[in-house]
Amino acid sequence: MFTHDGKQVILDLESQELELLTQLYGQLHELLAQDEMEVDADPLIQLMNMNGPTVIPQDEALARLFPNAYLNDEEAASDFRRFTEPDLRRKKLSCVRDVLGQLQIFDAARALDSQQTQNWLLSLNDLRLVLGTRIGVGEHDDDDDLEVDQDDDESAIDLDRDPGFFLYDYLTYLQGTLIDVL
Amino acid sequence: MEIAEPGVLTDIPWITLVWNDPINLMTYVTYVFQTYFGYDEMKAQALMLDVHHKGRAVVSSGSREEMERDVAAMHGYGLWATTQREDA
Repeated sequence: MFTHDGKQVILDLESQELELLTQLYGQLHELLAQDEMEVDADPLIQLMNMNGPTVIPQDEALARLFPNAYLNDEEAASDFRRFTEPDLRRKKLSCVRDVLGQLQIFDAARALDSQQTQNWLLSLNDLRLVLGTRIGVGEHDDDDDLEVDQDDDESAIDLDRDPGFFLYDYLTYLQGTLIDVL
Repeated sequence: MEIAEPGVLTDIPWITLVWNDPINLMTYVTYVFQTYFGYDEMKAQALMLDVHHKGRAVVSSGSREEMERDVAAMHGYGLWATTQREDA
């Protein structure tokens, strides 16, 4: 969990958490980097400043990370995407890579500077968006909550639930501790 | 003062909307509104609750370029944001 010692943000992780996060961040990196390679493949297209994609990603999780900026104007949405998505992806990747680097040399507890803290915050949110989209958070939620009902955290464990929900709840908890100390 | 400021409204007809989603935490959304827009906690919370209850909220207005910048920043934070003309 994240705490604050009065001077800086401290992150404590059990070895299981470290293992889990390393795995999840690795997958998030793969998801984002895979797309990056395709996009940067053609130097001529890069040269013409047309290196960004023009349509929303087919993958629903990537579509959630890179949504359309215009609802009813396809052309404007395409233009916006073409000029902004590569930069947005680079920024998201750079957060993920920094956190992966931190995890590789992690030793039980670690003080974070403001940039590292920010990278954790943004990438944890992206991780929750990807995982939450994959497991369908909110899809069967009639009351249209902005967040998963936090009162449920204490409720009895439902063994029939998708195991992804346990990971998702853990990430929600971890991000919550970070927001609390900001 | 009777001096009109012609075109003030028509010059800034664009808005940034943030839409409700089931994943982003309410505390996170409030934090983003405070951090990026510099809104005080009360205003940020009111906007977050608008998103939550009404499904969306206008979080900023200005020129199209400014709104595209705000939308890109919101996407950077993982919020679902769009821009459109104020009267659209």
